[in-house]
Amino acid sequence: MKKLMNILMLSCKRASGLIEKKANLSLNPFEKIQLFIHTGMCDACKNYEKQSRDLDSILDKHIHSTKPESSKDTLSTDIKNKIISDLENK
Amino acid sequence: MTNQKLALSQQNIQEWVSLYADDLFRWALHKTGVKETAEDLVQETFLVAFKSLDRFQGKSKPKTWLFSIINNKIIDYHRRNFKEASKNHHLNFERKGESDVLNQFFDNSDTWKSNEKPSNWNELEGHLLDDHEFNMVLDGCMKNLPGHWYSAIQLKYLDQKSGNEICQELGITSSNYWKMLQRAKLQLRDCIEKKWFKE
Repeated sequence: MKKLMNILMLSCKRASGLIEKKANLSLNPFEKIQLFIHTGMCDACKNYEKQSRDLDSILDKHIHSTKPESSKDTLSTDIKNKIISDLENK
Repeated sequence: MTNQKLALSQQNIQEWVSLYADDLFRWALHKTGVKETAEDLVQETFLVAFKSLDRFQGKSKPKTWLFSIINNKIIDYHRRNFKEASKNHHLNFERKGESDVLNQFFDNSDTWKSNEKPSNWNELEGHLLDDHEFNMVLDGCMKNLPGHWYSAIQLKYLDQKSGNEICQELGITSSNYWKMLQRAKLQLRDCIEKKWFKE
């Protein structure tokens, strides 16, 4: 019975994949209906889809943001001098 | 290049190294997570800047120009790193007899394991990103990903290209691409939930 349900309405495992496929590529009509029905009935997958989209916007902002000003990482003086001397020899 | 011009450009570059090298380094470190890589990228950036100085012509600010060079270098790096790092991993997920990250989250009937069910995150809003500790957690979770997933994720957001274009660039099928994102997302989500929402 569970197997039959999984084929008709997707398993959570497959739903978590189609959620990514939907956001990054595209779903075929059958997959669209399957995912729609599944997330309509499964709270965990509904939460997951929401979180996956939230993560997209968080990662997008995080990757494009400059590091907080407090970051103390600096390029070593040796490397800076090397850059300058390399260029002088060009 | 005439001697006068050469001297001028060298002076410019020297000045730019002292003004912008640290900013460029921090930027590259944030985007690659590897100190040595960030150092190499900054060196290459100045080399490219020097070689193409006559194309710069002062139309933009030097800093903007240098950052546009290093951004291209960062994208190139992730493309290379993806190909390099994925040599040691098969991208054909779900192969029989191989362990799959998905088994960590789903039981034998392909349903969420009870302790892995995504619960409702209450506060996941923009201001989280102003939180230094949250950014640290996020960086940590990103670095826990296998190298090729990490580079694919970086490219997805840095490159601003469609899924199909990214597949082409990386030389993978679309199904390998979304299955990789599925696994990377599950792992990231889990890591953030455990390290941020439950601690």
